[in-house]
Amino acid sequence: MTTSTDHDIPASGGAGLAGIAARESVRGGRRVRRFSADISAVGEPGLWALGGALALGIILIAGFLAFIAWNGIATFWPKPIEQVELRDGDVLAGVVRRGGTYRVGADVLPRLSDEQRAEIEGDLGFANRTLYQTANYDLYGDDFRWVSEFEVANVTRPADFHYFERQTWGVFIGRVAGLTIDGEARAFDPALMEREQAAARDRFHDIRQLEQRDIGRINHQIERERLNQRRAVLRQGEEAAAPTVAASQARIAELQAEFQILQTRVNEIRENDRRYRVQMEEVGGRTVDTELSQIVRYFAANQLSLLDKIGIYFSRWWEFVSAEPREANTQGGVLPAIFGTVAMTLLMVVFVAPFGVITALYLREYAKQGRLTSIVRISVNNLAGVPSIVYGVFGLGFFAYTMGGTIDQLFYPENLPNPTFGKGGILWASLTLALLTVPVVIVASEEALAAVPRSMREGSLACGASKWQTIRYVVLPKALPGIMTGMILAMARGAGEVAPLMLVGVVKLAPALPIDTFFPFIHLDRSFMHLGFHIFDVGFQSRNSEAGKPMVFVTTLLLLALIVAMNATAIIIRNRLKRRYATGQF
Amino acid sequence: MTRLSLLASSAALALATAAGAQSVDPNLPEYQPVSGVSGNLVSIGSDTLNNLMTLWSEGFRTFYPNVAIQIQGAGSGTAPPALVEGTAQFGPMSRPMRGTEIEEFEARYGYEPTPIRGAIDALGVFVHRDNPLECLSLQEVDAIFSSTRSGGADAAITTWGQVGVEGEWADRPIAMYGRNSASGTYGYFREVALFGGDYSPEVREQPGSSTVIQGVAADVNGIGYSGIGYGTADVKAINLRGPDGECYAPTAEDASTGNYPIARFLYVYMNKDPNADLEPLRAEFIRYVYSRQGQEDVVRAGFFPLVKAIADQDLATFGVPVTN
Repeated sequence: MTTSTDHDIPASGGAGLAGIAARESVRGGRRVRRFSADISAVGEPGLWALGGALALGIILIAGFLAFIAWNGIATFWPKPIEQVELRDGDVLAGVVRRGGTYRVGADVLPRLSDEQRAEIEGDLGFANRTLYQTANYDLYGDDFRWVSEFEVANVTRPADFHYFERQTWGVFIGRVAGLTIDGEARAFDPALMEREQAAARDRFHDIRQLEQRDIGRINHQIERERLNQRRAVLRQGEEAAAPTVAASQARIAELQAEFQILQTRVNEIRENDRRYRVQMEEVGGRTVDTELSQIVRYFAANQLSLLDKIGIYFSRWWEFVSAEPREANTQGGVLPAIFGTVAMTLLMVVFVAPFGVITALYLREYAKQGRLTSIVRISVNNLAGVPSIVYGVFGLGFFAYTMGGTIDQLFYPENLPNPTFGKGGILWASLTLALLTVPVVIVASEEALAAVPRSMREGSLACGASKWQTIRYVVLPKALPGIMTGMILAMARGAGEVAPLMLVGVVKLAPALPIDTFFPFIHLDRSFMHLGFHIFDVGFQSRNSEAGKPMVFVTTLLLLALIVAMNATAIIIRNRLKRRYATGQF
Repeated sequence: MTRLSLLASSAALALATAAGAQSVDPNLPEYQPVSGVSGNLVSIGSDTLNNLMTLWSEGFRTFYPNVAIQIQGAGSGTAPPALVEGTAQFGPMSRPMRGTEIEEFEARYGYEPTPIRGAIDALGVFVHRDNPLECLSLQEVDAIFSSTRSGGADAAITTWGQVGVEGEWADRPIAMYGRNSASGTYGYFREVALFGGDYSPEVREQPGSSTVIQGVAADVNGIGYSGIGYGTADVKAINLRGPDGECYAPTAEDASTGNYPIARFLYVYMNKDPNADLEPLRAEFIRYVYSRQGQEDVVRAGFFPLVKAIADQDLATFGVPVTN
């Protein structure tokens, strides 16, 4: 305690620094201790610590965003193909993925030539190596290969190597050995190949279109007729329903006939499509013969001009945001996942907004402030700290199994034992997330309501407005921007959440979107894909984690962009509201 | 031991595999679509089979665009309850069903669930690519991964020197990576490679097959087990000593003969009433799985394809006519 009495606390902050300097020179020997005591009294170290913490936080966030952006943005840029001749006579062709330095193991050295050993010893036992994407999984059984610098005899970039992105089997790297156009073998001609590949892709899309739109519609109707039959039988009994069943059987037969016509057309296009082929030859001379329509994109990677590269870069981005995934999600696009993420988040907002605001209104404006309301508040605050997976388990048990199961028995008995609502789906997922985010909205709304000045309420009441009128016309408009802030926080949290969704409706592959052109257009019972889960799936579940890694960054970038876009929209709306009600103040 | 006998049944039909890529048994029939197949299917189960089920359903849908297949894969343990509750028609599992799971199913339906064997998966034991280690016996694997050493090893193995790696590696500690306990791979590895013993608490449990590989790739002292198809250029699958004491690489051939000791079938369980025929949708899906295209999907997913003899056996149990 003696030391603390020693400290001279400056009378005012402004005189502090001058005072320290003065006393330092006078008291010489005790300078260090005096200095620290005084400066802390001024608040200087605290200021530095706060500033430092802020700077650290900004650096961390900026660094993280820059890391994701850099990796995500660079992914789709086309890179050259190198042909690497090894000293043991082996040849490989691939795209450089990344490199590294490593210490050559004692077990490797004896197998090398004297020349190579000398080279490594010159580098103190270290060597460089490069990871090549050699692709051609159907021929090699792997897609990547490490090559050490001391193994390499020669590296070239042959102009005729192409990079093929295929519908199945992933990437192929090699030359075009020949073309088959309309069943006739032709030599490789870039113009011819470009034309025919575009035509083949058109055929491919025609088939897709027929399958998804026309056949999809028939399928939907057949399914509905089948369910109608079952419903009739269940409600009226076997005999009474016989006419309905017969009518719908006839309808199904009609639809089946229609389907057969379409199927024949699809088969014809497919048959024709098989007559247009390309023969690709890998660096070692083995060839793969495939339909031209299987080639999603191809380019001579070593002959590209800057303009070509930009074109490929954007065409890849466009595919990514507009196409369906292929190769078990590791390639192609993420359109269903974007769609699912946005639809689920918006649906969540629809549930969480009224619920959260009404709760906050009651708690702040109507409820008698006492022990009970404090307990409710504490509970709400604590809910915000419950791990999200707990909400997932609750959602599955309560929403999907209990509520959904009951709904199925009451309204969809014809579909049982296949569940309609009694499993994970977009409705249950957004309700679960609404539960998860409702504390955020309640707390933010309550704060916003509390911040409305008492004078405004009293003024309104004094003018003869009722309590509800005061809330409706004075308090709520004034508090709306604050409430919107709560909604923005809730949206950001909800869109980025994955763990609970895995239990209540997110799937790896959902064949149909939750919104489509078939009545009733919005299918709340359907499972959906989600960008957050997609990241987890591609990063940690895919066969080839090396190939999946860039996709993880791209998808993360996209998810971030999506959340920023949704938040920006909400912020713009909030600012509009602020401006609109600013003039309405007293 | 059912595992070995099952695998041995295909021993006579060893595959001729080209270096590198796996080739599909040329005797398997090309898939020919039939008419009148439509409807919805739900698959719930193993995450090891997640990619394969996705590829199968993508392939199946090129023949039957009006079939919708939904796939959820959280672990083999989720398949039996889904089949019992009827929430799924397919229950992919990376291990056979346990007795209790079968009983539960039987209590509800009066008959046992029927499995098909869709693919062969060899579990690879992976080390960092710079690790000079070539071969391990199952006893050594057990001594590395377990705390019980039921395989009969004298002491726990904690450094690479104890398994015969020399030089700078000899003193390096071994870092183990494994799967989490919901996974069928975890259970299978424990049963076969640990001889039913318990995992050492030092094994770092990972949430996915690919995460194990990423862990080993980033850790020079790492060793981990995962499906062979998940291997990347950053890791090396080591050979294991077979029942005859020789070292075998995890190839399709040695996996199906049982020489490579930790190979298993991947199953898809189904609810099939033994007194009724399977409806066309599921019957065609099974036929697709056993077609050349279906088994090509197996190769694409990184597993080993089946030979025709096994396909015929399974098709027969389902009463699906065999076509040539």
